[in-house]
Order: sequence, then C-alpha cells, then structure tokens
Amino acid sequence: MDMEVSRSWRDPELWVKALPSVVLQTTCFLAPLVMTFILTFQKTQNFQLNWTWSLATWTDVFTKPHYWTILGHTLFMAVACVVVCIIIAFPIAYGLATRFKRLDNEIKVLITFAFITDATLKTFGWVLFLDKKGAANYLLAHLGFPAETVAFLFTDWATLLGMVYNLLPFAIFTIYLSIDNIDRSLILAAYDAGASKFRAFWEVTLPLSRPGIWAGSVLIFLLGVGVFLEPKVLGGGKSPMSAELIRQTFETRVNWPLGAALTLVLMVVAIFVVLLFSRVAGMRRAGA
Amino acid sequence: MNHRFESALANVILYGSMVAVLVFFYVPIFTLIAFSFQEGRFLTLPFDGVSLKWYGALFQSGAALTALWNSTLIAVFATVFATAIGTMAAIVAVRYRFKGKRAFQGLAGAPLAFPQLLLGIVLLLWFSVLGRWFGFNTGIVTAIIGHIVYIAPFAMVIVAVQVYNFDPVLEDAARDCGASSWDVYRHVTIPLLWPGIFSAAIFAFLLSWGNFYITYSLAGSTRTIPTFIFSGIAVGSSPLYPAIATVVFIPGILLVILANRFRLRAARAG
Amino acid sequence: MTAAPILSITDVHKSYGTYPALKGVSLDVRQGEFIALVGPSGCGKTTLLKQVAGFEDTTSGTIRIEGEDMAGVPAALRPTSMVFQKLALFPHMTVAQNIGFPLKLRKVAPNVIATRVDDMIRLMELKPEYLKRYPKALSGGEQQRVALARSMISSPKLLLLDEPLSALDVKLKKVLQAELKRLHRSVGVTFVHVTHDLEEAMMLADRICVMRAGKILQLGEPADIYYRPADPFVAGFIGETNLMPITVTACSGAQVSYGSDEIVDAQGSLPASLVAGDVGQGPALMNVRPELIRRCDKDADVDCKLPATVTEVFTKGGTVQYRARSTQGLELAIEIQGTSHLPMQLGEDVWLGWAKKDIWVLKPGEA
Repeated sequence: MDMEVSRSWRDPELWVKALPSVVLQTTCFLAPLVMTFILTFQKTQNFQLNWTWSLATWTDVFTKPHYWTILGHTLFMAVACVVVCIIIAFPIAYGLATRFKRLDNEIKVLITFAFITDATLKTFGWVLFLDKKGAANYLLAHLGFPAETVAFLFTDWATLLGMVYNLLPFAIFTIYLSIDNIDRSLILAAYDAGASKFRAFWEVTLPLSRPGIWAGSVLIFLLGVGVFLEPKVLGGGKSPMSAELIRQTFETRVNWPLGAALTLVLMVVAIFVVLLFSRVAGMRRAGA
Repeated sequence: MNHRFESALANVILYGSMVAVLVFFYVPIFTLIAFSFQEGRFLTLPFDGVSLKWYGALFQSGAALTALWNSTLIAVFATVFATAIGTMAAIVAVRYRFKGKRAFQGLAGAPLAFPQLLLGIVLLLWFSVLGRWFGFNTGIVTAIIGHIVYIAPFAMVIVAVQVYNFDPVLEDAARDCGASSWDVYRHVTIPLLWPGIFSAAIFAFLLSWGNFYITYSLAGSTRTIPTFIFSGIAVGSSPLYPAIATVVFIPGILLVILANRFRLRAARAG
Repeated sequence: MTAAPILSITDVHKSYGTYPALKGVSLDVRQGEFIALVGPSGCGKTTLLKQVAGFEDTTSGTIRIEGEDMAGVPAALRPTSMVFQKLALFPHMTVAQNIGFPLKLRKVAPNVIATRVDDMIRLMELKPEYLKRYPKALSGGEQQRVALARSMISSPKLLLLDEPLSALDVKLKKVLQAELKRLHRSVGVTFVHVTHDLEEAMMLADRICVMRAGKILQLGEPADIYYRPADPFVAGFIGETNLMPITVTACSGAQVSYGSDEIVDAQGSLPASLVAGDVGQGPALMNVRPELIRRCDKDADVDCKLPATVTEVFTKGGTVQYRARSTQGLELAIEIQGTSHLPMQLGEDVWLGWAKKDIWVLKPGEA
C-alpha cells in the first residue's frame, strides 16, 4: 500500500497542518534551548541576570569535580534503571503479545492506568508503603517478621525502585509493539524447521524484538537521567542526582547561568552516551 | 528439554512475572487508597478507625478545591490544543512525502525524549527572560503552553497509529465521488481518524491533569493537584492528601477504560 | 464518419521524481466503448487511469473528456468515476450511505437519493436488506456490486475500473465479468478497464491497449492483438506463442520471401498482409499460435512443417498442451482440442505442420 502522497511546501494541505507544530516546537522548545546556551555565558549578581559575556560559568563547571561526581552517579542510576526495566518488561511484553489473549485488554488497561497516573501520587504511595512505620513493615510484622524489615527508604535502592516503577511502562509498550509486529509465520517456520520453543524464541523472536528493546532503552535512559521526584522523595535527597542539583542551582542559589550550563551538560552527555551505545550495537551487528 | 516441560516453564515465568508486575504497579496506588480512610490525624498504622471524614475535609479545603479547578482548567486547554496540533502533525508525518520530512518528524516529536523537569526548567528560563522584556509573570498560561509543548508529541504518536491504518485510497474515492477538500475531511478523514483523535485527547487530558514536573516549573504561584500533593508528601502530613489522590484516580481509570473501548471498536470497524 | 472521441489522451508524460511512469501516451476512446488497458506491473496502466480520474497532475500532455481540457480540473469535478482495486468502500457508512454519497455531495434531496439508490440496488441485483448493513458484513462479490453502484449513481460519462476483480476467486470473477459486460451493454457508459488478466481483457473489451514501460505498444481489437501482435513482447504477453527465427530475403510490395534452416516449406514466400509493418530484409520471427499447429504426416501437403520429438504432455480438460523439440533444437508449444485418445504420445517422433494463412511475421525485438 502506497501510504505517502508527495506534497510541496507551497501546498496548503501540507503547511497549514505542519505550521502549528513547527511554530510551537521552534518557539517553545528550540528557541528556549538556544537561549539556555546563551545564558551560560552571562552572570548573576544580587539574584539578577547581568548581560555580560564571560566564560566564568563554564570554567566553574569544568573545574569542580562535585558536578561530575553527581553526573556520574546520575548516569549510573539511569543505566541501572534501563537494565532492570528491560529485564522485567520483556516477559510482560512477550506474554501480552503471545499468551494472555483473553485478558490482554484488561491487563493493558491496568498498565496504562498505572502509567498515566500522576507520578507524585504514586511516589507518595511508595513512601507510605516503604516507611519504617509504613504498610510493608506493618504487614510483615503481623506475619512474624522482626520490626523494620523493610528499611531501604531514603537510600539509592528506593530511588531505583521509584525510577523503575515510573519508567517501566515505556519499556513494556515499545517491546510489546515490536513483538506484536513479528510475523507469526516466521516463528511457525522455525518450529517447522525443527526448532524447539526455546530455540524459536532465541533465534527468531528475540532478535526481531531488538528495535523495541533499543527504543525502550533510549527512552528510559533519556528520561531516567532527568528524574527529580524519586531521588528527592524516595532517596531522601541524600545522594542527589543531576536534576535535583540543577533545580537547586536555579531555585536556592538563583544562579541561572550555572543551572543552564548544567542542564546542557546533562543533555549533551546523555545524548553522547546514547550515540556511543548505538555505535557499539551497530558495530556488533555489522560484525555478527 | 522436552516440549511439555518448556511450555510449563514458559507459562510459570510469563504468568508469574505478569502477576508480580501488576502487584508492583498497584502497591502504591492501593496504599494511598487505604490511607485515605484513616480516621486519625496521622498517616501511621494501625489506623485509629476507618472513616470518610478526610473526603469531607477535602471538599471544605479551599486550597484543595482551587488546585482541582486549576488542574482541570489547564488540562482542558492543553487537551484541545495538543490534540489539534498533534493530529495535524500526525497526518503530515505519516501521509505526506516532502522535503525536510525527517527534520519535521524530529522537531515535532523531540520533547518526547526530553526529561520533563529539564523541559520545565528550560521553558522557565525562556518565559522569565521574555517576561522581563514584555512584562509578564509565569502562571496558568505559561503552564498551559508548557503542557502543550510536552503533550502534542504524545498526541501525534497516538493519532499516527490511526493514520497508518487509514487507507488513503478512501480519500481518493471520496474525491472521485465529487467531494471537495473540506468534504473529504468532514465525511471521510475525520470520522475515520476519530478513534485515534479521541484516544489522543483522553491521554492528553490525563497527562496534563497528572503532570507534576512542568507545572512545578511553569505555573508560578498557581497550585494544581500534583504540586499541591508534592507539598504534602511526608508521613507526618494528614490523610487529606491520600484522599485527594483517591479522588483523582477515579476520572483517570474511567477515561482509560473509555479510551480502550474506543480503540477496540475502531479495531473492529477498521 | 466517426464521432468525436469521448476521451482523448495526447502525448501524456508523468514522472514521479526522476522516474518516468508514462512516456508519451496518446489514446482516443470512443463513446460507449469498452477498452481494456493491459500490461505487466509497473507498465503505467494504473498511472494512466489516475491521470484520467484527476488524482494526479500530468507532467505534460493533455487529457480531454468530450473535447474539454481537463488540466487543472480536480477529480471531484470530472465526469469520471472510478472503481478501485481495493473497492475503497467507506467502512463507517452503510451500504445505502456509500452508494448515495456522490449524490449527497451534490446536495440532491434525500428522498431523490433514496429512489436512485433503490434503482442502483436493482441494477446491481443486490438485496434491499443490505442497504442498512456496513460493507464489512458483505461478501467480496457483494462489496464489488456496491462499489459499482456507487460509481454508477452519479451517471458518469466514463467509468474507470482499476483491476476491481483481481482479488476475487476464479468462480466469482467469472460471474462478475459477465455482470460487467451486461452492465456495459445496458447503461451505454464508456468503460476503461485496467487489468493484468488477459483472458478478462479478451472477454470483455471492444479494444485492448497493451502497455509496457510507460508506452502503448499496441491498440486494437482482441483478435488483432492476439493473432497480429505488433512485436514479440505483445505476442508473448497475450498468451502462449511460438516465435521461430527466419530470415527475410526479399520484400517486394505485396510479397515477402523468407528462408529458414528449420522449416520444410513449400514456397517460402508470404503476402504482405501477414507481416507486421516494415520488417525489412534480415532476421525476423515467425509467430504461430499453439492451437494453429497440428500433427501431420511426413509427406502431407501442408504449407510449413518440421520434424520434432514430443517432450511434455499436459492435459487441460478440454484441450491438451504439448511441448516438442525440433531436430535442430527449436522449442515448440502445441495445443490440440482434446479427444478421448491422445493424438501424440510422450517421446514420440512426429511431424508438425501449419497453414501459411496462420503465420504472422514480426521484427525481432525484446520479448
């Protein structure tokens, strides 16, 4: 089926529909990004922006190891979150696409609702559940466990739990779509060729679902480096991640140029990591 | 490994992980709902008693009701604009072939992979600088704009799925029947894309209604439900907050079910 | 005197980017004619139909309908109507709404639309209770009739059919082919029918237009195309054939003389009426259809004959097809009306002969 129709930019059918998005994302996404870059060369004095061109902010960023330690920690947490999410999401997505045909709509509704519900509410729920005097310990105590068995609230583990919780649906959706798109006859052909169920999965389904795994990983990584709620609320703010640092720089220190610079560093490093990984993955595929 | 053993193992893994993940997803949600019925003043166990008194308190709390109203107002505007912009972008991104198509798809979808807090901060800088030049402060309008920037790409992706399943030959057929461009939209394109547009609108509403990060940066002193709750996240706070959360869940689950009904009906008709 | 053509296509070119889909097509279609456009995939037949319907702008050239230049006239305003390959019935409209849609767009009163829809339902022999159903609830053949009804309701001057029967099973296809023929006769509208099914084209069309690589190779009545193809490609495309190499030694006015190492020939000359255009001296091809070749005796008095060995036998119900290899290595296809006993056996050495009047001589070219 030929889906695409050729259109020139002079055709109103094209530009009338493209214009709102182009204008919106240019004025409220690209332009702010460019301005953020420009702001890094300014200075603040007495909580006021001072329009002078200087490299002071960037010198600061590149000479203080503190920022980079936090960035390293952030990247580590994001990668850990990606790994955990993919491992959990794969069987769920696979089951949804191949097994739970009778219940798949109900399951999708449940996952979608959990995904769409405001992150602050759910994070709050976790605090109430995981607290020393929270629901988990209360229930466990009734089952005969010692007091305060669950004691990882306000640690990195709680932060990771919150990140996985909030970002897992992205991996489920992307992997589900790629498995759902696999032609069933390919798998039947593998059985026909004598492959066991496990072999068919390993040789056909898994390689063909790679685009979904990759898309989910990139999405979760990029969103994971920007989390703020989880380290603040579940991690107790004890080992801050970049987003929290950036927010503090803006709000508490009112140092806009530094905040802008840290924002850009975070984005550039994150995108660099994605490109690096895709390069490595691409080379592995070419070599295989 | 023999086939029967493999099947049984696969079933245990798949069904087991599904149940585990659903439990995982609903632990905090049910915890919140449970705590909203605590009669006492504090969010601790065991409960002093079970009561609905915090729901009553909620409807007498001016701050909570204002937050509810603000959330609704922002969500309605964000939904209308984000769905309209996203729908048009989806048609452009899927159906047309033109110079700069990749650039358009990238630009229109970019905020999808941009951390929300950073998007909020970048926009806050932008509106603060513009605000100083043109004399305005951040508030409900800038929050709405931020929501549209973030949500329009989601709407685009959802409608795009519907556009993919829509055979463009139907538009040719309508034209052949004597339809003008407007007739084609009115009688064929819009009715056939409607399930996708409707789902996109529901998602847009929910994403906006529950949005914390962007509102937090851009709404100035205006409070919405999520920012209101953020201020109350602490074990020491009152069961008023879980009560608000529970009230917020209700329209959410209803809208998700509605969207799913619509998607199924569309899948059957298509 | 012939009437002015209803559709007149003059030197139409169409390019998609740098790819030329139509390279100078000219064609006149007469009022009330049933014309079939045939050719392999990618030959430009559907592209040509789209230009006529107005879905795409031509790169150059003119298309006139009843003498009126269609340049810049949108599809909606052209007096044409298309039946699509995938039917393109609107899934969100009932059968009645689908059929009545063209009239609704023309702001015809609802009660008039209802009457016209009833007329169409009767013409297409559809059951009235289908009117309230959605297209998905109908069978393939019924959907086909609905699509035809929708195309006919606005009384178009030209009905354009883009392989509408290609997705149907053989039995249903035969029924609907007969239906199309009946419809064409009863309404008197001009039909332009695109198909890759030659049998269908032969059966339905008054004239067949064979296309290849964006050009028209030959336009003519079915018998012309079949027995007097313009070149080896048309000969091979329109059913199975035998193309035997010969050498034209002289062509003088009404007579063409030829020679062949293979064929035992009584005279070696033909009237010019059995030769495609200006063959000229040199190598040429002798085209003989499989059903015109017969088994004969070594000494039989036939115009042309050669010795061969039977290599394959296919029984096809009413006819039997053979493959044979001549002593000098020429591959031949023969088709003989079936009888209760086979006239030739596998592996048998036979003589094959044909009459001079059944020969058609062609210039060699791409097959």
